[in-house]
Order: sequence, then structure tokens, then C-alpha cells
Amino acid sequence: MWLVRPVQREDLRSVLDISGEQGARLSSTLPKQEAAVAGKIEHSMRSFAGQLDAGESARFLFVLENTDTATIHGVAGIDARAGNGQPFYNYRRDALIHASHELGVSRRVEVLYPSHALTDMTQLCAFAIDPDLRGKEPFELLARARLMFVAENRDRFSNRMVVEIQGVQASDGSVPFWDSLGRHFFNMDFDTADKHSGLLSRTFIAELMPPNPIYVTLLSAAAKEALGQPHALSLPSWELLQQEGFQAGCYLDIFDAGPVLEARTDSLRTLVTSRKTTLHASHGDEGETCLISAGRGEDFRCTLTGLGESVKAEVKVPVKTWKLLSRSAGDEVRIAPL
Amino acid sequence: MLVIRPLLETDLDDLYVMAQNAGKGLTTLPADRALLERKINHARETFNQRCAPEAGLYLFALEDTDLGQCVGISGIQARVGLDEVFYNYRLSVTVNASRELGVHVRTPTLHLSNDMTDTTEICSLLLSDSHRGGGNGLLLSRCRFLYLDSFRKHFSDKVFAEMRGVSDKEGRNPLWDALGSQFFDMEFSEADMLSGLGNKSFIAELMPKYPIYVPMLPDAARAVIGRVHDNTAPALKMLQAEGFNFNGLVDIFDGGPVVEAFVHNIRTVRESVHRHVLISRKAVDLDVATSERVMISNLSFRDFRVTTIPAHCIGPDTVSVPKEVADVLLVESGDQVRLAPLRDAGPQIVAAKG
Repeated sequence: MWLVRPVQREDLRSVLDISGEQGARLSSTLPKQEAAVAGKIEHSMRSFAGQLDAGESARFLFVLENTDTATIHGVAGIDARAGNGQPFYNYRRDALIHASHELGVSRRVEVLYPSHALTDMTQLCAFAIDPDLRGKEPFELLARARLMFVAENRDRFSNRMVVEIQGVQASDGSVPFWDSLGRHFFNMDFDTADKHSGLLSRTFIAELMPPNPIYVTLLSAAAKEALGQPHALSLPSWELLQQEGFQAGCYLDIFDAGPVLEARTDSLRTLVTSRKTTLHASHGDEGETCLISAGRGEDFRCTLTGLGESVKAEVKVPVKTWKLLSRSAGDEVRIAPL
Repeated sequence: MLVIRPLLETDLDDLYVMAQNAGKGLTTLPADRALLERKINHARETFNQRCAPEAGLYLFALEDTDLGQCVGISGIQARVGLDEVFYNYRLSVTVNASRELGVHVRTPTLHLSNDMTDTTEICSLLLSDSHRGGGNGLLLSRCRFLYLDSFRKHFSDKVFAEMRGVSDKEGRNPLWDALGSQFFDMEFSEADMLSGLGNKSFIAELMPKYPIYVPMLPDAARAVIGRVHDNTAPALKMLQAEGFNFNGLVDIFDGGPVVEAFVHNIRTVRESVHRHVLISRKAVDLDVATSERVMISNLSFRDFRVTTIPAHCIGPDTVSVPKEVADVLLVESGDQVRLAPLRDAGPQIVAAKG
């Protein structure tokens, strides 16, 4: 069975394996260096345990476990505050009208403005999954378990949420937007910059980007085409997030120009449709599959279950689901439809 | 004899023919009769001090007195950017550095600027093909420095010239194609023409205001930033010999460089001397090599005149000139005149005798 739970120290090797499978990616995703991942795991554990120092912002990391084989198949995170106390950089795609009354002309000029507007909004991040599971039920479980956690801990998160979607990257690993813009200022390819970003921070790299607005018309044709476009591999995430209520606005990733999706936290489908209920036993696995979670800290667990009869304040699910959630009859759980 | 004098209403026909023959690229003198007439009138107002000093446009004609014809023109604009906005790009450098990343990258960047505002510009130089050579171009250009220094209070301490940028036979400019045309749907030649008609600041207002990172431009466009048109190379060389230097500004349309100098540092000014006129009865052979000649000017604001005479006419306190030269300069015996070498090679001519 599939289970989403907070990451543990012992998961280090598995998380590294998963992050190693990802292509170069400068955005707020998983680092590939062991020390960096270990640090991230420690930070997540302290975040779940509520043991953060004053001024530290919470960063939660979840893993997707196949409990039958005790193997990890995916990772997903939530940063309570995008930027984690540092500025969170994006480009805002905006337009200026260059017009002259005297000459009777007017032209729309697109400009990318560096922006910190999304700083401190809750950000879904660090999503990586076994490619075989892409688009399947465990994929939805991993992506949405985070929102079950948000629903359970609403006060720990902001009113608006953002997600960065990976941008266009060619099969040889080159990133057209980077090659047309960032590359000039770093003299290094995307892959190299990505390695640095894993060791330092995304903000560190972002601060070396040109501080002035960029005219879209001066970008290469390939870079222009890539603006706001998701990587082919990100399409399942993009679709799932759109169903959830996220929408692409005017913000773009400053490195690969991938879209930044935005949503009002309280309007997200999982938050709207999920409800608290009391656990009871059902016989057999039949019934509609739904998300079920329990716990609100280190003990948070989320899985998929067949939903038996569901009366107003109680829900009947198989006992094996209880075990996964470490809960028993009469305990409080949260359920949401798939 | 060839004489520099203020441009007159009667020069309109000659000027129009010259402008027509010059073709594209001379934005300050388009072949537009009405516009040329306005310019002449403006110059007349200026010399007669009927317009505000900062609005002055000083246009000088090179007259061939034998033909009674204007064969060249050069100008000084007292101040730029006062009634409209004068734009340039400043070519500067942005450095991106990080010790941690081992990165230290210099990025040339174009910043839109109005840095030349309120500065004197030398402009509008045009010499008809029939009179090229023989130092006529030098006379036409350098006579302005004598004027600038003789009437300093009418001009800024610094003076600049915009040099024509690169364009191909079809009049296309790669910087315009890569940058200007992206913001203003127009061929370079058309924009150039419009700016000659006085619409330059309208066009400039449509141009990008944020800095342009040069590496984002195509190679062909980058290559012409700060470069002059082949036809303008001699003019640039001449100004460099006078002490003008590239000041980091380029034209927003074609990327041509702006060169500037302080008036007191201009070589013609530094090497000029004053003498009293002595009208000599002796015949003087005026037809000597360019390197043997010096410029001689009167000191009249309204009716400035310059011509050239052999350097040997200069004495320790006086300069002896034949009657016909004194006549074209509108001077008499005892009047003060100013002298300066015509050619780069001949600075010692005046200095040695001074």
C-alpha cells in the first residue's frame, strides 16, 4: 500500500536516489548533494516536531512509501514561506505601451520585471516521483497529501499558495531561456549553475541575475517560446494542480521561465472538499477510493483507501488502513475524494 | 578665394543642391527646402542676436568667391536638449561577481541617458564634391573652433559631435534592426529621415527605457556599437587630432559614437594666436600647399569670416595680408585677427613665430 509520511533520517539514501534521477533544475527543488539533502531532512524533522528556532521558517518534506516493500518512490515538500526568510525571486511578465500621439503609433512591449511579490507565500515544492508512477493514483496521493497537511494545519500557512512548474528544457539538457539570459551573466551552462544552486541557495544565484527589467523582444526565439511553458514531464503535475485550483498568473521562474501557479489556499479543492470524521471499520476494500489522513505533526500519515459507508460524522474504512495511519476506531481522521 | 562666412538667405538654392547630393545619413540636413529655409532663418536670427543664446544655431557657409557660390556648410548648435529631450545610450559595464561561484563577468550595458543636455554640439558638416581636398574640409570644420573660443560665453565649456554610425548600401543598420525596430516599426532610413525633420525625440520616446544588456543583442548589432561609417572615418580622425575623444555615449539609433572635448583643450584653440593686421601692398601668392597655410579669422560675432593665407605672412606682432584678403575678412590695418594652423602637420608654423 502507498503511504505518505514525514521524511526520516533513514530516508536519506532513497531521497538522494530520487533527486539524482531529476534533470538539472535551478528552482526550489531537491538538491542532489548528500550534505544538502541531509540538512533538508533535519530541517523538515524539526519543522514537523515544532522545534524551529525563532526566525526560522518551516519547511516540510514528505516521502511516498510503498509499505509492502518498504521502499521510497517519491518526495514532496511545502515551504511555509517562499524564500524561507530570503527574497523569493520571480519575473513578472508585464506589458508597456510605447506610444506617440505625434507620430500616431503605439506598440505593446513585453517586459520581464524582477519581482519579490511572492515572497513569504506558502510554496509547494521539491516534488519528485518515480517516473513509473507519474499520472497514477500514488502520484495524486503524494501531490495532494501535502494539501491534507495544510488543511490540518491551516494556521501555519499563508492565505495564498504558489507552485513553480519546471520550464522548458531540451533533450540535451540545455535550457533556452537560461541560454538567452542567465548564461550571459554567469558564463556557465544551466547544469553547472544548477550544481551551485544546490550547494548555495536559489536566492544566492538569483541575486546574481541582472537587476533590471528584460525586454522580451530581445530574447532568442526559443526563449520567447519557452516563456510560461511547462516542461513535458511536468504536464501531469500542471494538470493535477489546475484541477486543484491553481492557475498560471504573470509570474515566471527567473532561470527557466517555467510558470508559477498561484491559488487562494482556502479555495483549493482538497481544502474545500476534505472533512474531519471519525474512524470505523469496514469489511473489504470496496467503495470509492479517497484520500485519508491522520495526525498533524510528526505523526502525520496520508494514504488511499476504499471508502465504505460514510455517515455524517463517521467513516468506515478497512482495518489495514487504520494500521497505516496508526489509528484505531473512534479516532479522528480527515478524508477527501480523489 | 574660399571664405567662411555666416550662412545667408541667398544660399538656399546651393544648400538644397548639396543636401540632395549628400543622400541619406546626414540627418541634420535633409533635402527639404522648407526645412532648410527654416534653418537658414534660424541661423540669421542667431547671428543677429535676436534669439535666446541657448537656442542659437550657428551655420557657416564656405563660399567660393570666384564662383559666388556656397560650396560647403558647417554648424554649431549652442545647446542641445533644451526644447526637446536629447537622448543617447551610455555604454557602461555591469559586473556580476561571486567569490563563491568563481564568477566575475563583465556585461556591457546600454543605459538611456540625457547626458549631453545643455551642451554645445558641432554639426551639419557638408562639403560639395567639387571642392573636396585642398584642406577645404579642414577649414570648414576647424573654423568653428575659432568661433567657439572667441565667443565662449555663448557656448558650453564642453563641445561634442555625434558621428554617423555604420550602415550598408541599402541604408540598413544592424543595431536599429536588432533594437530600435523592435520598438518602433520602421526602417532605419525612415527613422533617420524623421529624426532629421525634428521628430527624433518622439521616436526616442518609443525606445526602450530600461538598460539593454549588450550580450543579448545579435553579433552584427554588437559589432557596430561605437563604430563610425567608413565615410565618416576621416572626420573622426580629424576630430581626434583636435583632442576629441569618445565619451562613452552612442547614438540610440545607429550606435555611432559621440566624441567630445573641452573648448580650451581643442588643439586649434590652443595653438591659435592673435595678431594685428598689416595690409601689404606686395603681392602674395596665396596658392600654396595646405601644410603651408594657416586659418585667419576676424573677431566679429555677427559677420564672422575665415580664410587661409600662407604661414609666412605671420610676423612677431602683425600679420601682413594683401588687400583682397583684408576685404573678405572685413578688416582694416590695425584690427586684430586670429590665426591657427590648418593642417595637423603644421602646428609649429604659428607657434614658432609666436
